[in-house]
This record gives sequence, structure tokens and C-alpha cells, in this order.
Amino acid sequence: MAIGTQTVMSGEARGARTGLSAVAQRAVSNSAGGAMPLEVVIATRDLSIYYGSFQAVKSVSLDFFKNQVTAIIGPSGCGKSTLLRSFNRMNDFVPGVRVSGEALFRGQNIYAPASDPVELRRRIGMVFQKPNPFPKSIFANVAWGAKINGYVGKIDELVERCLRQAALWDDVKDKLNQSALALSGGQQQRLCIARAIALEPEVLLMDEPCSALDPIATARIEDLIDSLKCRYTVILVTHNMQQAARVSDRTAFMYMGELVEVDATSKMFTIPSNPRTEEYITGRFG
Amino acid sequence: MTAHFVSQLDDLMRMSLRMAAEVEEMVERACDAIYTADEAFARAVVAKDGEIDRQEVEVEAEAIRLMALYQPVGVDLRQLCAVLKVNNDLERIADCAVNIAERSRHLEVQQLAAQDPQIRAMCPIVRRILRNAVQSYASGDANIASDVLKEDAAIDAVYGQIVRGVVAQARESEYPISAHLDLLSVAKNLERIADHAVNIAEDVIYLETGTIVRHKPRA
Repeated sequence: MAIGTQTVMSGEARGARTGLSAVAQRAVSNSAGGAMPLEVVIATRDLSIYYGSFQAVKSVSLDFFKNQVTAIIGPSGCGKSTLLRSFNRMNDFVPGVRVSGEALFRGQNIYAPASDPVELRRRIGMVFQKPNPFPKSIFANVAWGAKINGYVGKIDELVERCLRQAALWDDVKDKLNQSALALSGGQQQRLCIARAIALEPEVLLMDEPCSALDPIATARIEDLIDSLKCRYTVILVTHNMQQAARVSDRTAFMYMGELVEVDATSKMFTIPSNPRTEEYITGRFG
Repeated sequence: MTAHFVSQLDDLMRMSLRMAAEVEEMVERACDAIYTADEAFARAVVAKDGEIDRQEVEVEAEAIRLMALYQPVGVDLRQLCAVLKVNNDLERIADCAVNIAERSRHLEVQQLAAQDPQIRAMCPIVRRILRNAVQSYASGDANIASDVLKEDAAIDAVYGQIVRGVVAQARESEYPISAHLDLLSVAKNLERIADHAVNIAEDVIYLETGTIVRHKPRA
């Protein structure tokens, strides 16, 4: 455990011993059992981010746990995308950006002089608001990153595996050489997810990945996020609070650059501790 | 959108509170019916039951509609859940009032009740508990709701005394055993009304504080 651990109640199925049905075993497994430690993958400590003299993120301290989906919500301009983009140093491309405090990945300072942004971005992948496939074939989109990173395995198998993980294989298996730009918006976004996971990252950053998609495509991406978390740690920025409620394990609420509250999603959307969170999620402000 | 939802939630709350007021009145009339020879009280209570059933369905349908259309969270979700649960308790309280009213039509029960100090003591306590529970629901006052919870044990104790009294006296009584059973039924329904009132108070506490106090030992 690099930064620290938290303990949550999680279940070990006891059904095999007790002869319970599969459904009952799952229920027992979900409701009881031993404590399982949570592993911190990314952490921030008093992290502040400035655009010139404007402070977009104010002393945020927050842990992100392995194999969990953490949603970051908040009104426009609250700093949630800036925070997300700091984890793989995407903000480096913005002139005048300055960072203080710490952002840690596996206990290592992301902004340390020795930190390699390229390697960091391989281990912390990103999916953007608007699907942005390369103007190449579907196959090439997935294979590209692996090839230039010197992937030594069978590239065909890698592409198929990633497309399957991204729930896109059945849609495209017969047209892998067609242009990725011919796919629908939802398919393009799943292709971008396949492209990101082809580099075998540990973390997937998702910046409003469904905001350009219709409800059906959105539902498929949400199902995909749920299935991806068994392999990856997912950090999701979304304006859609119902989406945060549906797909995330934990939710962080930011307002004017500050972290107002972070807690289990089920608690945040039923009995949040902070009145500002309550007002925001019920639409009273923001 | 939010203002529209809040307005509809307020309307729903008003429907629920109107129903609560009418149920409270049914309980008062049912209690009065025990001690008066005027059958009009009892008839009015029984006649009101159909109206309460209609309101219960109306409130439930509206609450479900708002949940489906707006997918509320936070305090809005807690409020809709409270409305649904309170709705169920109110309808059951109305049923209890009807049961009491029907028993009170029997002359022997009226005479027995008039002689039984425990039943006489139970009626005003139950009415007060219900009144306070409804008040806490209307005003969102968790303190009043907490006070309601404290009275539950007293009602249970009085009910226990009534049961023991019937067991001890029924064999020697000048009244038929059916009259004693009716009296027990009245006491049981009063005790159930108090239980439902306590449920309402528990829902108010959850609505206001987010704390579930059901099934926990009380000080």
C-alpha cells in the first residue's frame, strides 16, 4: 500500500459450504464477510493548480482506489477536469500552468523532475469528451500505440482482446480494415477506450466520455465502465449526476476549485454530509 | 426543471398532509365512538375509509410518477421515500380506526370500556402520539419525532395491563366473552395506531437526519 489503506466490508462467498443458490450466494457475498483492504493508486496531497494567477484547484487531498470507479462531479469551472488532467500531466500543454502540493501515482510524485510524462500517460490512459479516433482503420487505431511502444506479442490477438474488453468486437470483427471514422459516435468512443487499454494502463481517466453520445450509446459505455473496473482503476469526470450515481463506487464533489465532499456514491446521493453537496445534487444551485 | 419538480413535490406533500389530517380525525371519532351511544360517529369513520383508500392510491401513484420522471437524489429522494412509507402507515391507521368504530357499535363494549380505566387512559395517549407524529411530519421536526418514539413503551405497557385485566376478569364478568374480545380488539387497534405513528416519526427522523432509528433499542 503506497499511500495508505482503507478497510471496507466485502464478502467472501460462503455458499459452496452452505448449499445456497447462486443468487443467494451473491447476496451473502455482498452483504457480509471479511474486511478487504483498498489499495491507493493515485493520491493528491494539498494539490493546487494555477492557470497564471487563477487558482483552478485549491489544496485538494484525495485518494483513488484500485479497481474502483471514482466520479468527480461539480458545476462547470469547478476544477474537476483540471484535476483529472493533472494525473497524466495533460495540463503540461497549457501555457502558464503551475502545480503545487503533490499528485502521487503509486506513491511516486507525478510532477517529480525524474518523472517521464510519456511513460506516465502509458500507465494512465485517457478517454476524452468527444470521440477522437485516428483517421485510420479500426485495426490500426488499436494497434498503433502498442506498435510504437515496441509490443512484442501477437498484435492481432491484442487488438481482438482490447476490442472485446471494450465491447466492440462483435460490431467490428468483420470490418477491421475499414475507417474508424465510419463508426457511430458510441462505437468511436468504445474504440477510443480499446485504444487506451491496448497500452495496458493501470488507470483510465475519463473526461465526460458520454456527453456527445445518445442515451443508448451512453448506456453501453456505462456498462463498459462497470466491466472495466475489474481490470483498471477508473476516474470519471461527469456533468451527469445520474451517471455518477449509476457507475461509480465513490463520488467526489468539487466546487470553485475545492473538494467539498468525497464519500461512497450510495451515501453521496442519499444522505450527503455537506449541505452544499445536497444543494448541488438536488439541483438547487450550480 | 428543478423549480417545477420542487413545486410538484410540495403539491404531493400537501396531498399527504391532507390525508394525514383526515386520518387523525377518523381516529378521534373512533375513540369518541367507544364512549358515546351515538352511532353516527362510528358510521362516519367507516364511511371515510373508502376516501382514504382512494387518497392512498393517488399519493402513491404521484410519488412513483415523480421518481420515474425526475430520479431524485438526496433530500428529495428521502422525502419521496418518506411520503410513500407514511402513506402506507396512514392507510393502516385508517383501517385500525374502522376496526375500532365497528367494535364500538356493540353496546356491551361501550359499557365495558366505560368501566375500564386503562382503555380510558389509552385513547388520549394514542391521539396525542398520532397528533405529534403528524406534526413532526408536517414541520420536518426531528425533535418532536424523537419524543414520539419515547411514548411507544408506555402504550405497550397499558395494552399489556388491559390484556391481563381481561384474562383475570372475563370468566367472572356479567358481560359475554365476545364483549371482552371486542374490548381487546379495540385495545389492540389503539396499540397498532401508536405503532404506526411511531413508524411515521421514525421516517421523519430519517428524512431530516439521514439516520435510521428503526430496530434499535431506545433509551
